[in-house]
Formats: sequence, structure tokens, C-alpha cells
Amino acid sequence: MKPNSKHSQRLIRAALAAVALAALGGFLAVARADDTKPAAPKKLTGAELYAINCGRCHPERYPTEFNSAQWQTIMLEMRVRANLPARQAKEILKYLKEEAGN
Amino acid sequence: MKKNFNPRFISSAAASCILGLTAVQPATAAVSDEDFNALKATVQQLQSAHDQDQKQIQTLQQQLGETQTMATNAIAEAGAVAQAQANPPRNALHNFTMVGDAEIQYAKTYGNGTHNGFVLADFAPIFLYQANDKVLFEAGFDVTVNNNSASGTNSYNGVAGSSYTHDSGSSTSVSLSFAQLDYLVNDYVTFVGGYMLLPLGTYSERTAGWLNKIPDDPFGVEFLPGAGAGAQLRGAYPLGESGQMLTYAVYCANGPSSVDGTGNAYTLDGGGNKISNLDLGGNVGIQNDGNNGNLHSAPSGGGRIGWFMPWGGAHKDLELGVSGQTGSWDDAGSYMWSALVLDGALHVGPNVEVKGEYIDTWYNTSDAGTIRPWAAWVQAGYKLAGLDLDMPIISDIELIGRVDKENNGLGSRSGLGAETRRYTMGYVYYITNTLLFEGDYEFIHSCIPGSSPLTANQLIFQLSYGF
Repeated sequence: MKPNSKHSQRLIRAALAAVALAALGGFLAVARADDTKPAAPKKLTGAELYAINCGRCHPERYPTEFNSAQWQTIMLEMRVRANLPARQAKEILKYLKEEAGN
Repeated sequence: MKKNFNPRFISSAAASCILGLTAVQPATAAVSDEDFNALKATVQQLQSAHDQDQKQIQTLQQQLGETQTMATNAIAEAGAVAQAQANPPRNALHNFTMVGDAEIQYAKTYGNGTHNGFVLADFAPIFLYQANDKVLFEAGFDVTVNNNSASGTNSYNGVAGSSYTHDSGSSTSVSLSFAQLDYLVNDYVTFVGGYMLLPLGTYSERTAGWLNKIPDDPFGVEFLPGAGAGAQLRGAYPLGESGQMLTYAVYCANGPSSVDGTGNAYTLDGGGNKISNLDLGGNVGIQNDGNNGNLHSAPSGGGRIGWFMPWGGAHKDLELGVSGQTGSWDDAGSYMWSALVLDGALHVGPNVEVKGEYIDTWYNTSDAGTIRPWAAWVQAGYKLAGLDLDMPIISDIELIGRVDKENNGLGSRSGLGAETRRYTMGYVYYITNTLLFEGDYEFIHSCIPGSSPLTANQLIFQLSYGF
């Protein structure tokens, strides 16, 4: 006589069902999480954009090394050379001018 | 008995009363001289104080008037300054800035019989002129000092001996690295025209002595035209607010040229020496005969697409790019030269950097088939500040290593073929953020077909200054 073969099959079916339910529950949980709107990403400040973009090619140039007018010209060159997006370049320039102090 | 009052007595008494009532009464309180004088003094003091108050009031009124005048003038000047800033005066020095770098070296090459020597490696000014918010003209130069070559016949006691060719004296060479006009068409498109830096990989566009961290260029740079005469559109699109972006550049340029004009793989120079016939640096539009134009029939075209992704703030980012150029190189326009460059750079925190390029070029020739120079380099840097040793000199040192390999594609039959591998170990000491003291030792192994492998190691020290 086969020892509890039908029982084993039921156990297996129950286990598969449990796994399926667990998977379904996980899927629903993820779907529900996706339904909630993520928080709006914070806009990076000029200082943060400066650190991100300008540090990858050269050592940091301190804002006080140049005056505002010079930064205006240099940042235009950097925007072209590093292919920076316009808004980021403007934010970086604003930061440098403010920190230049002259 | 009646008593008779005398009416005359009554009238006299009444008159006396009336006179007494109407007579001036003498003062009942007498003022002494002392009191009078004291009172007089008090009055005088009050008068003096009053006069002083009057004078002070006049002074304050005068100061108030002057302050009002100053305020009025300040307002007028502020208005004039605001107007001047809105309409800046145009003159030759308006928004003119010079940046650039300079390097001096001390080098020793082993295995080729040379001595140690100091070298003024480069003085590379970049002139920037900004005409307005949208227009920039920039030009970069390389100024170097070279030994002259003298030749003749030596003599001893007036007797002519053997001929010689020897270094004697020096000369200064000034070469134009680039000269381009940049015009911001809009937020996403910038027009560049002139003798412009070409976006083949990133090394050519972002190189400078004080940026490279190792004194000499990686292999493969010599297989690419660093600059070309042409026009370009470039720009960037931000992807979200994290700093991620896509960059693009598309251009056309006159392209490479042929030394003798033909599509032959090799030619002979003035000394009869066999050289490669490909010239990557010529064809800049103004010819020796005074004519303008491309040396061959059509311009070359090329471009680069890049993806930059920062994560977790500054100094953590990945950049990948693919770029290429293709076009004819011989005068007849029958043979094509092409290049493909893959570039990447990774920053993992402020102290770790890895970057590299794979450069593949190929060009067809009339007599040697397709020649395929290629190269690859990988460079890694680690700043010892990451060890948090809190030691001032150690924390300012960055250790650099580079491995590069190249094959000039000229093969064994030409006699010019060579494959070279180089392993470089070095350091950068940041004296300041723009003054760098670099040193490296290079293990160089060259394999020239038909010859024994050549080892010519190098030791280089360099002082670089970025301004």
C-alpha cells in the first residue's frame, strides 16, 4: 500500500497554492506601492550641481578664484566643453557668482 | 439840647478817607540786590542756552539737507549702475579672460642613450572672449621650446672632417590647438564653428597638462584628429532632477588628408625615409597656394552620444560614450578613413576614479588594403585622503596607474609596424588645487615585426599649473 500518496499530493498541491498565493500577494503589494505617487525629486542646488559636474574632470576651482564677470565667461566655455544642460549651467553660475563675492 | 455836627468836619474826614484810599500804597515786599542779580544771571543763562539750541538746530537742519542730497545722489547712481549693467559697454576688453595651463618636466628615458634633462613641456593659454550671453570665442595655443637641428661639416685645426647633424640652439613653436566660435542657439543646441576640438572620445576635449594626472598622453590619441576645421551642433538633455543627462554632438569637418595626395599607404619624406601617407592634422581649409577649400571632395562627418549618471550625490557617477567619424582622406575621395571610440569614466566617491577608452580606426589604401590602427587604455586613481590618515602631505597624494596598448596597424611588411604595451605607475601631489607635482615610471615594451622587442622605460617628473 502506498504510504499516504493522496496525502502527499494534497500536501504538494497545498504548498503550490501557498506559493502561488504568496507570489500573488507580493505582486499586489508591489502594485499597491507603485500606485502611491513618489515624492517629487528635490532639485539640485547650484553647489550640488557644481560638485557633481565640475569635479569629474578637474580639481575643484574655488569660487573666489575668479570674479563674477570672469565666471560668466568661464562657465560659458565650460557649458560648451562639458556639454552641460542649460539650466544646470545657469544654476552653477549663480552659485559661483554668489560665492565669488565680487 | 441838639448837637450840631460840623459839616465841614464831616467833609474833611471824608476827603481824607478818599485821599487815603486813592493814594499809592507803598510796597509791602522789598527785592534785594542779591536776588536781583541772581535773577538776572539766570535769565542770562537761559538766553545763552537758547542761543546754543538755535545754533544746534541750524546745524542739524544743514546736516539733514546734506543727507537728503546724498540719498538723492545715491539713488541716481544706483539707477545709472542698473542701466549700465543692463546695457554693458562694448569694448575690446569686455569679458575677456585667459585661462590655461603650463608644465615643466624633468625626464629620463632609458635604453635610447639619452641623458636626464629638464623640459619646458608646454605653455598652453586659452583666450576666452564673451561678446554677450550667447556668444563666446575661444582659442587655445601650445607654446613649446625645441632644440634646433644644425648640420654641416666639422673641422679640426681648420681641416674639414665629417658631416654632422646635431642639436644646436633652440626655437619656439607656437601651434593653434583650437579656435572656435560657440553660439548658444537655445537651451538644447549650441553651434560650434571653426578649428574645433572634436568629440572623439572625451580625452581630446578634456585634456590639459594639469588635468591628465600622468605627464604623457595615453596611447591612441595619436590615431585621432584632436581638432578639425568644421562646424558642430552639440547639447545636453537632462533626465530628471538627479543630474542624469544625455549629451550629443554631431559635426562635419574637412577631415584627414594624404601627405602626397594619393591613396597610397606610404610615401617618402624629404630625407627619403618611408613614412605613413595618412595625415590627421592637415586639411584646415587654407591651402599653401592661397586657395580655400577641402583637400578632397567631401567633408567627414562624425558625432558622439554620451550618457552621464550620477548617484548618491557628488563624486559618484558613471559616464559612457560612443563616438565616431568617417570620411575620405585622399584627394580623389576614393578611400575612406573611419574611427570608432568607446569611452567610460567611473567615480566611486571622492577618492576613486577609473576611466578609459577603446580607440579603433581603419582606412582603406590603394596598395596595402585596410590599415587598422587601434589602442586601448585604462587609468585608475586613488586619493590617499580616503585612508583618513589625517596627515597633511599624504592626504594630498593621489596614486595613479595606467595600462595602455596600441598597434599602429602598419603590419610587418611595411617595416613601420609596431605594437607597444605600457604600464605606468605614478602619483600626483596636490600642492594646491591647481598646482600639481606629478611623477611616474613607465615600463614600455615595443614589438616591431622583424626586430627584437624594445624596452625603453621612462621616468618623468612634472610640475603642472592650471590657471
